[in-house]
This record gives sequence, structure tokens and C-alpha cells, in this order.
Amino acid sequence: MPLSTQSQADDEQYVLVASLDNARNLSNILKAIAFKDHAIFSATPNGLKVTVEDSKCLQANAFIQAEIFQEFTIREDSVGFQVNLTVLLDCLNIFGGSTAPGVSTALRMCYKGYGYPLTLFLEEGGVVTVCKINTQEPEEPVDFEFCSTNVTNKVILQSESLKEAFSELDMTSEVLQITMSPSQPYFRFVVKNLKLLSTFGNSGNAHYDYPKDSDMMELFRCDKTQTNRYKMSLLKPSTKALALSCKVSVRTDSRGFLSLQYLVRNDDGQICFVEYFCCPDEEVEE
Amino acid sequence: MKSVLPLFRCLTSIERNVERCQISITPPNDQVMIQFFCRHGITKTHNLCFQESEALQAVFASHLSPNVLKAPARLLSDMVMHFPVSQEEITLSMTPLRVSLRNYYEGGDDHMKNMYTEMSLHPDEFDYFQIGVESDITFCLKELRGLLSFAESHCLPVSVHFGAAGKPVCFSVEDMVLEATVVLATLIDSESRGPSQPTETLAPTTPSCADAAAAVLPVGSCEADSRKPQDIAAVMELIASSQGSPIINPPALMLLLPQIDDSNKLSVADEACHSATTTPASSTICSLLFRALSSEDNDGCAARLPVLAFHSDEEEEDYTREQSCYT
Repeated sequence: MPLSTQSQADDEQYVLVASLDNARNLSNILKAIAFKDHAIFSATPNGLKVTVEDSKCLQANAFIQAEIFQEFTIREDSVGFQVNLTVLLDCLNIFGGSTAPGVSTALRMCYKGYGYPLTLFLEEGGVVTVCKINTQEPEEPVDFEFCSTNVTNKVILQSESLKEAFSELDMTSEVLQITMSPSQPYFRFVVKNLKLLSTFGNSGNAHYDYPKDSDMMELFRCDKTQTNRYKMSLLKPSTKALALSCKVSVRTDSRGFLSLQYLVRNDDGQICFVEYFCCPDEEVEE
Repeated sequence: MKSVLPLFRCLTSIERNVERCQISITPPNDQVMIQFFCRHGITKTHNLCFQESEALQAVFASHLSPNVLKAPARLLSDMVMHFPVSQEEITLSMTPLRVSLRNYYEGGDDHMKNMYTEMSLHPDEFDYFQIGVESDITFCLKELRGLLSFAESHCLPVSVHFGAAGKPVCFSVEDMVLEATVVLATLIDSESRGPSQPTETLAPTTPSCADAAAAVLPVGSCEADSRKPQDIAAVMELIASSQGSPIINPPALMLLLPQIDDSNKLSVADEACHSATTTPASSTICSLLFRALSSEDNDGCAARLPVLAFHSDEEEEDYTREQSCYT
């Protein structure tokens, strides 16, 4: 592979080198959080974390462990930079993103450190492209202070059942209401159908109920009945992650903050995670 | 209907996942609840608001119709296929020797620009052919197309019952689980005079009818005695010539849902009618419609044909009067 012919000496100058035989293992998961142009990259010896935020109310994180990469070398404890995610994805797909079996784009991502651009070496079928993307100083991602000890309700569902619900839900509704409860209705989404505002004045609503003993429900741990509302516009981007995932965990904490964690399997069957944090629209007392 | 259709749109996913669908109304809510009980215990519930209204009832004895045709939906579809999609009305003619369809255009102004299409079928083409009276009936094609595509998708035969021009025509399909009837008014022959009606041919399905296929048309009926003779002539003429134009917006008609009967409304409608002579043809039609909607069917006056629909209320009349200002 041409990329490996790069001299070892070059590598000394990079604080981060990450290689993938199949760039799609990175690009697919990044697409699931690409609802804003800019992303904060944070690399540690454990792997790569990419964060995208929206108006301090929504945060999406993609975790790609070091083991996913064919090579992952980091010379510092933590390397961070901000980069235009749209441009990065365009580069990763520079060869057209064909899905023909056996044909994949190889990637070598290198970063020299503060002030240097992010360099991507991409190769497919013997053709090599070098992309240099300017980096910015990374912003501090919002800390949603969502910790496991504060979690009041948690369910883990197989994504299949949710995927359909979300595709049917009236996405023009402003608000999505989620109820989690140890008793009926257990796990419920409610959407008000503003789009269907008829001449009769009052709009209707729709709700989707998932019983705790459904075979789609892998884990059901709800201590307290909670109903929270979230802006649909904030949650819409998460449907991309949902589409890629096979399982999703939905957790709410005592403040009503929502954490959605998606388990995504990449082309090679390896597991990555995508996480969405969303703050509630308004507390609804049940 | 528009609110309900999206719920049933993804047929494949419904077939795959939904085990049972339940539609219910629980008073005192003004909401109808449509529930899908799906696999894995998942339940999807949709609540939609609705408004109470009385459904129009077609008072039409189709079994008394002198003329009857029955054919697979496919045959009728093939017949209407030859007419442009924009064709508003067609004329169905029946003689002992043939059944023909031709397009109908209003007025003579631009008749040089129109394309006239006529097609005929031999009576043998039909599964059932009964002719009691030779007639030419003109009715709205658009309404028929909807029923035909429905019938065709279910491979059902369509029965057509009709009589002389001016009497309603009834299209019906039935199978084991459903029966659908569409009654359309037909244009009266403009040569004939007398107390029988100017008729209406345009009316979409009223939204209150749960059965989408059972569309009922209000038929304009006038109490001949209460109108000045010249009005009748004017009205008759106006109607015949204005059939072609899409005078009434479906939304306007959709509002003409029958409400609680109020005999006071009759007088209001009268006014509407009398003002008809000074307003353009389109509003005349609107006024007549009111007339029909508000008059009672009870008197059994021999000079009047039965009213197919009744009741309207003030709001709606105001709306239509407003409409007529803009036409």
C-alpha cells in the first residue's frame, strides 16, 4: 500500500497518526453526528472522540476506539482540535464513496499539533490524494453533567422498533414528549400533530407505547414516572445515528436531561458508540 | 380525510408489523382514536379531532332506474381513459343499439379549439344491459374516475343505474366486506321546461363521511312556484352554460355540511336566490345549492323531484355569499 511507504521519520513530527484500511469505518459514524459544520476532535490513547454541538442544548459524540484503527499512535495524553466536519467528510469520500465489495478507500490521518492542519492521505486503487484541512482551536464542549448516578430511568431497546416509529412520527411537530414509568405506559413517545392542524381547530396527537416486556426491550429499569419534552428540531439529527445503530439506550436523569446512546456496528463488525445529550424543553409534572 | 390518510400510507410496514387496528370514538372527547397494535407489544395510537355533522343521505332508489349497466371496472376505466385528465364532464348516452361516451363542453365560444371525443360500445360488451328509456346523461367525470380506480384495484364490477337526463346516476360496487355507492347529479336537458330542476354536477366527498367511497351530491332544487317565471328561464340557461367551469371550489362545498335543521334558514336562502338574477352564473349555482340544502324534503310536492340533501346553516351561506362576491 503506497501509504506505508512514507518514511518513518515523517511520523516523528506527528502527535497523532490514525490509519484505517476502510475510511468508511470513520466516515459513516461521523455522518451520524454531522448536523453542524464544525466538530471538536479529541484524541486520547483510548481512541478518538468527535463532538458536535448545537446551541448548547444538544451534543452529539462519536466514539471510535483505538482498536478500530489499524494504526493509532498518539504522542501526547490528549490531542484536541476543531475542524470543519463537512469538509472532512467530503475528503473522506473523495473517491466517490462507491460501495462495491472489495473496493475501499484507505485513510491515514495525521496531525502535527497546535496550529497545523489535519492531513489526510487517502488511497484507492493505487491513486493517492492528500488533503490538508485547517484546524481551529477547540472549543470546550458543554458538560451536561450527566452521570450514571443521577440516572432515574433507563431502557435499552433494539433500534429496529424505534427506527420505524421515528420515520412515521410527524417530524414537523415542535415537541417530542417522552414518558418513562415503572407502570403503564412504561415507555411512550408523544407527538402533537401540528401539521395536521385541521379546520376544526384542535390538532391531534400520536403516541407510541413500548411495554416493558416487549421482546424489543432489552433492559427496562425505571424507578420513577417521568415525562419530559424535547424540541423535535434538536432530536431530529439523532435519527441518523438511530438508522445506523442496532441498539439504543435511552436514559433520563433527575433534571430531565436525555441521553441517547447508539451502538453502531461498522462494515467490519466492530462496535462504535454514538451518544446524544439533549436538554428538556420544559418540565412536565406527571 | 387528509389527516387520516398518512397513517395508512406505509402499507408495507403496516403489513409487516401491525397485527390489529382499532378505530374508536369515546365521548365526550371530540377525538377519534386509531390504534395500531403491532408486533412486539408495541402500540401506536393516533388521536384526531373531528367535528360532528350529519351525513348526507342520498334519497335515490336505484332499483327503480330504467337503465342499468354492469361491467367490470376495467371496461369502464378503459372507456374513460380516452378523455383528457382535465375533462370535467362527460355525457353517457344509451340507446338499444349502443352505449356511448362523449365529452361535454359548455358554451359555444371556443368550441373550435376543443377536441371532441366520442366512443361507443355495443350492449354485448356489458355484463348486464337494461334500457328502459333512451337517454343522454351528463355528469362529472372526476368523481367517477376515483371510484373506477378503486373498483379496479379490487377487481370489482361496477353497476350504473340511471334514468332520463336530470335524474341522478348511481355508480355502485360491492363485495363481501364493503359496498360503495356514488350518486352523481346529472345535467338537465336544457330544452325541457317545467318545474323539474336545474341540477348540480359538482360535489366532492364530504369529509364527514367515513366511507370514502360513498359520496353524496346535493342536488339543486327549486320551488318553482315561489320564483318568477323569468328567473327560472334565466337560471336554467345559466346552469346549462356554466356547467363546464369549475365554479365551486371543493372547499366551499365541503363546508356545506348539513347541520341542524332550522326552518328559519329557508327565508335566508330565498333572498340568496332572488339575488341570483343580478349576480354572475357561478353565484347563481351557489345560491341554488343553498336553496336545496335548506329546503325540506317532507312535502312530497309532485312538482318537485326529491331533494337529495338538506340542511345548511347560516355560516356556510355567508361563506358562499362571500365566494360569489369574488367570482
